[in-house]
Amino acid sequence: MRHNFIDRYAALDSPLHLLEARTKILAFTGLIVAVLFIPVDSGILFFVYFFATAVLMGISQVPLGYIVGRTLFILPFIVLASLAAPWHGYMEVGALFIRAVLCLMLLILLTNTTRFVELLRGLKKFGFPQILVMNLSFLYRYLFVLTEEAMRMKQARDCRRVGRAPFRKELKILSSMLGTLLIRSFEHAERMHSAMLSRGYSGDFPLISRRRFSWNDLAFLCGVAVFITSTFGLR
Amino acid sequence: MTDYAVRITRLSYTYPDGTKALEGIDLDVLVGERIAIVGPSGAGKSTLLLHLNGILTGTGSVKIMGSNLEESNLKEIRKEVGLLFQDPNDQLFCPTVYEDVAFGPLNLSVPAAEIPRRVDKALNDAGLDHSIGSRSSHHLSLGERRRVSLATVLVMEPAILGMDEPTSNLDPRNRRHLIEVVSGLKATLIIATHDLELVLDVCSRTVLMDQGKIWADGETHDMLANAGLMGKHGLEVPLSLRSGVRST
Repeated sequence: MRHNFIDRYAALDSPLHLLEARTKILAFTGLIVAVLFIPVDSGILFFVYFFATAVLMGISQVPLGYIVGRTLFILPFIVLASLAAPWHGYMEVGALFIRAVLCLMLLILLTNTTRFVELLRGLKKFGFPQILVMNLSFLYRYLFVLTEEAMRMKQARDCRRVGRAPFRKELKILSSMLGTLLIRSFEHAERMHSAMLSRGYSGDFPLISRRRFSWNDLAFLCGVAVFITSTFGLR
Repeated sequence: MTDYAVRITRLSYTYPDGTKALEGIDLDVLVGERIAIVGPSGAGKSTLLLHLNGILTGTGSVKIMGSNLEESNLKEIRKEVGLLFQDPNDQLFCPTVYEDVAFGPLNLSVPAAEIPRRVDKALNDAGLDHSIGSRSSHHLSLGERRRVSLATVLVMEPAILGMDEPTSNLDPRNRRHLIEVVSGLKATLIIATHDLELVLDVCSRTVLMDQGKIWADGETHDMLANAGLMGKHGLEVPLSLRSGVRST
């Protein structure tokens, strides 16, 4: 697994990338909420929002193939979720599907135009609980360390076995591996906490902000607000 | 008057599971001194280091730069004592190198305008280019991660630097590079290690620990060349001393 699995294209320098994280969080949240409120029978609105998303994609310079690939990756879950509600009729199921795809594309765009750490800073500035932001930051940092640890354990297991064991035995091996991984994670967390304490940690997790809210941010926010208002007014 | 960086008196520590890690440790370290703590695995070397800035607190007394280590002055003590942990992954927990290096100064309320200069200087002192700051530590080689870990400590400008196995798992080139960096530091150094060649290169004084006690304390070369003493505590005379490569 690559470490930039979440925000591979976040280091580009398109106009969208240069905006402050809070601007993008607000704007994309607004767009997502607007998409969720598009009436089932309003095909034109779906089209307008698809067009707007496509424009944002173009501005962002994030490769179209990447966004489509990521969307396809999650598509089976969306299909399943849509099919889970067939009693609403085909229109509703179709609308649910389109809304989910649109929201997903917007989210992929948000995470690939904003570095994960900038997103965390944005959330922190919006007053998200400190502990939540800190845990997300650790998740981003250590998910891959743990994945590698698990891969090494799997390799060690594979080196010492010949052929496949019966299912129940496989399950037993897997559960003991997970247990070991949990203990190692716990020990790792303890050592990390010691390292934090020795560098003066006292409960506040500082995140450095490099971007400032500018006129461009204000203009973008106003543009998105006008767009959302006018599209719903259009209807 | 003698200036002591560290004065440890009758320090004992028992882990919650009942394992006695330290028993009646007495140790004085002078300002600017470079000492090595050697001993077999489980001797209590790392535990002793963790007492230098109050991560662990046992019975007995620990004085850092003349101040008793207490709950009330932990923040000041942690400014004075930097600890380099054995596994860089324990030390590098922020999304980018820059943030990791800046973590300590930000916690110590260093003015924001001062942070970039200190981060750049620390990276430079650790033998790294400042352009590494925007990278994720996960993308770095182990040698680079080790040096970034060192930068995270150096940025706090500590008077005392404790290092736990600084050269473990490093390839020869990165090991040599780290030794060069460490040799150029001005802080008081306390290095817990199994790397006896590193000890010969960097430290003038060596303390031998085993089973939570100090068994010998003296000049590095004499102690490491003492095959009887080393053998008794599960250690070996370094190869360079055995083969006579290194002159006395």
